Amino acid sequence: KLLKRNRICLSVFAVVLALAGAQGLTPAHHLSLPDVARLQSLLSQQFTDLESAYYSVLGLTKLGAAVSDHKQVCRFIKSQLDPTSIDSVFFAAEASQAISGCEIPVSNETRDILLAAVSEDSTMTQIHRAVSALSSLGLPVASQEVVGALTARINKEDNVMAITSALQTAARLSKQAELGGILEEIEDLTARLDDLGGIYLQFEEGLEATAMFVTAAYSLSDHVDMEPPLKEDQVIQLVNSIFSKKSWDSLAEAFSVASAAAALSNNRFHVPVFVSAQGPATVSHSQPTLQLLVTDVMSQPLASANVLVESAYAVASKSIILNQAPFTLNDGVFELNFMSKQPASGYYQFTIAVTGDSRLVANHVELKVKVSTEVAVANMDLSVVDKDQSIGTKTTRVDYPSKAKSSFTADSHQNFAMSFQLVDVNTGVELTPHQTFVRLHNQKTGQEVVFVAEPDSKNLYKFELDTAERKSEFDSISGTYSLYLIVGDATLENPILWNVADVVLKFVDEEAPATIQAKTLYVPKPEIQHLFREPEKKPPTVVSNTFTALVMSPFLLLLILWFKLGANISNFSFSPSTILFHVGHAAMLGLMYVYWTHLNMFQTLKYLAIIGGVTFLAGNRMLAQKAVKRYVS
Amino acid sequence: MSNSVISVISRFLEEYSSSTPNKLKVVDAYLLYILLTGALQFLYCLLVGTFPFNSFLSGFISCVGSFILAVCLRIQINPQNKGEFLSISPERAFADFLFAHTVLHLVVMNFIG
Repeated sequence: KLLKRNRICLSVFAVVLALAGAQGLTPAHHLSLPDVARLQSLLSQQFTDLESAYYSVLGLTKLGAAVSDHKQVCRFIKSQLDPTSIDSVFFAAEASQAISGCEIPVSNETRDILLAAVSEDSTMTQIHRAVSALSSLGLPVASQEVVGALTARINKEDNVMAITSALQTAARLSKQAELGGILEEIEDLTARLDDLGGIYLQFEEGLEATAMFVTAAYSLSDHVDMEPPLKEDQVIQLVNSIFSKKSWDSLAEAFSVASAAAALSNNRFHVPVFVSAQGPATVSHSQPTLQLLVTDVMSQPLASANVLVESAYAVASKSIILNQAPFTLNDGVFELNFMSKQPASGYYQFTIAVTGDSRLVANHVELKVKVSTEVAVANMDLSVVDKDQSIGTKTTRVDYPSKAKSSFTADSHQNFAMSFQLVDVNTGVELTPHQTFVRLHNQKTGQEVVFVAEPDSKNLYKFELDTAERKSEFDSISGTYSLYLIVGDATLENPILWNVADVVLKFVDEEAPATIQAKTLYVPKPEIQHLFREPEKKPPTVVSNTFTALVMSPFLLLLILWFKLGANISNFSFSPSTILFHVGHAAMLGLMYVYWTHLNMFQTLKYLAIIGGVTFLAGNRMLAQKAVKRYVS
Repeated sequence: MSNSVISVISRFLEEYSSSTPNKLKVVDAYLLYILLTGALQFLYCLLVGTFPFNSFLSGFISCVGSFILAVCLRIQINPQNKGEFLSISPERAFADFLFAHTVLHLVVMNFIG
């Protein structure tokens, strides 16, 4: 049943892959050969205890490297073994399993200690190490009991490393056991991964946790032969996270990276592919083949892969130049003779597909290939043209790389003209490179003026120097200028700097400066004085004080008027609500003053609510009493 | 022409002092006070300048607002208008006056700077 489900899964996966066609993610990082070498050398360091021996031996084995001097390692393991410690037995058992001819003697006592560790009261690490040790030593393990203990521990220890250990443990159990529940933990852990920018997928616990998770997930998936619930893009994101770090802090970290590399290059379901060009992705007449390295994440070449170009089109013109062209395998490198299709120089976008194994992930890659060529200058014609066209032009042809024999003279009545063509040496096609400059250099003063030569509609380059119009660029300094032609482009293999001729320019109203002042670009600039905002002019204090007194004076008038009218407070009743009201009202007025000096609106509203509430209630009472008095009288 | 104006004014003053209840005269004195204060503030602004403008605005608006509220109070407590304000007793009018003043002073103090 499991097999059939797996078959259907695989075929659906293959169909999806085929349909996917265009772009998913491709790995940005992998372990290049120097990285693998660095990892190996870190793992080959002299080990000091059993734990480092375990990491070294197993790490090197996973990378496919040889462990030096098995006998010495075996002796070391046996000497360091502590048969009463589960950890010690675990490291010794696993390491000895990896090297040939090393048998660890196991006593009944040790076996009992290991079996006793399989319970829900031990930590996950202890269960994992005990079960692994038992399995490596060839001792029987009660798989169903282990599953029970693991399931109970997963509920208590919910962290990533613990669940990863559970997955690893389950991979050592019998296939008949009920591993379904533990298998589901892979999906739960996948949901806990953090997606960083769509490129990286990792646990916040770090690199070691992520790498060990990948190892454990594939280990268990292979064991039960069920595809892990990781999407293609997620696998690539995990690859990016694990292999982006190129130097490792500890042996444990290095071991985890080595384990992940081994798991990702050799499991039954997902094998990420890394495609890169050998050297720069450039072809030219001298180097007509495009060479590709197609490897797994550990830079091991893929044994059975077919590489072909699905389509290639020119970036500039979008015309398709290749369709379903296969690469040939030549000594571990995939080659394609691109120049045989006689592409014009420029950039081409290749879509490359790697097929041949249904497990391949990220096997559609986009690659930008440059076709470069050599340029030649043809039909370089120099002439001095009279502005009024009365005297016929005299054209001198100059061939690259020689210089014109005589110099050309142009004064304010004449224009100096230059025309030429740039052609591809191999195909004769006219080119329009990015950089075509004409540089005039005054040898005596060191002055340099650069112009751009523009092609017309027929790709013929023309340059005209109007002596009168351009005199400001030259600062009107007459003299002999060397004329250079500069041609350059990213797709040209032979940039050109050609001293074509000498031009004598005569300017009207020549200015005095014999030497050039270099442009003062890098001298300190004049200091900027910051003008702070001037405070507004205030009126003199006398005026303010006078007007303050003046504004207060109507109050006096009010008091006098009220006195004259006979306004009095003889009706003041000393009931509590009245007193409370007046006190509250005075407090509110005081609050207004305090608001002006100290508080902000929020604090004021808060106090106002309290005082106002009290005043309102008291005032309500007081006014009601007054109304009653009024009605009665 | 000026004769009739003077006679109208003197007639008005007579009527005012005789027929207006004392309570209303008290409020009228208050209104005069507010008016004078506001006018003097405006005079200062014209003569000396608008700096600081926010303070001037706040003071002037305080006078204007107080004047309006006092006018409302006067209208509401005038016994001759009792028919129009059946549901509003003089005490209620005074309470409204106080409440509105609280809000006005809150705004004025905020703006005075």
